[in-house]
Amino acid sequence: MSDAQHRDLAAGRWWELSLAEQLGHVGSEVSRAVRWTSRNPGVARGALYRALELLDLTLDDPRQRRSVARLREIARAREVVADFFAGPNQYGSTGPSLQKYFDAYARAARRAV
Amino acid sequence: MIRGGLGSTWSCTMRSQGNVRRATEVSPVSMDELRDLAGGRFGDMVKAVVDLRRGVMLLDAELHADQEAELLAEGSAQPDLWGINLYPDIAGPDWLEFDSMINLRPSFGNRSRGVDDPDAREAIASLVHRLIRR
Repeated sequence: MSDAQHRDLAAGRWWELSLAEQLGHVGSEVSRAVRWTSRNPGVARGALYRALELLDLTLDDPRQRRSVARLREIARAREVVADFFAGPNQYGSTGPSLQKYFDAYARAARRAV
Repeated sequence: MIRGGLGSTWSCTMRSQGNVRRATEVSPVSMDELRDLAGGRFGDMVKAVVDLRRGVMLLDAELHADQEAELLAEGSAQPDLWGINLYPDIAGPDWLEFDSMINLRPSFGNRSRGVDDPDAREAIASLVHRLIRR
């Protein structure tokens, strides 16, 4: 991932985070993409690209690679995000439905705080 | 770049720790600097964490959690820390976005990635206004 925006994370630090933290951070970018879509498509696109980059880093995580079920979940999440923002939205997603999915991970990651 | 302990940060007001930039009222960050930070990482956006009590803002990181950890390590209190995003080329109030995973602190009463308390939002906007020379 030589053109990564998250250069430090792509170098391996992303893989030190829990899955809940990873997907929580992805959710932050998805949330931004949703929020900016109507106001500034360029900003929304930047957030979408960051979300997809983080999802790709998650798919590359050696820990997740040990579990087919986890890989399937992460890959599905990526597909749904890409389908909603850049595809025909064949899954009928909405901004709130995507945010709700990722918010659960964010809450889990921040439970101890 | 000036380095030092917590005491010296009040006077030096801006330093670099790796990729992180620090701003306080004595040495605010200019919009040109902010654009440089945005261009060097995400293109249009700079992640920042403010400490409302200490009047400090750390700018430019891949995760707000990194800036939060740095501020906590030097003595900041969690309830004083808020994650924001700055869009230097966006006009109007939209240039400041209240959205970060570190804001999600149910035990302190903030149940979203935004900033639920209007007074806290106003205080953050006021601090950002003082720390960024527009």
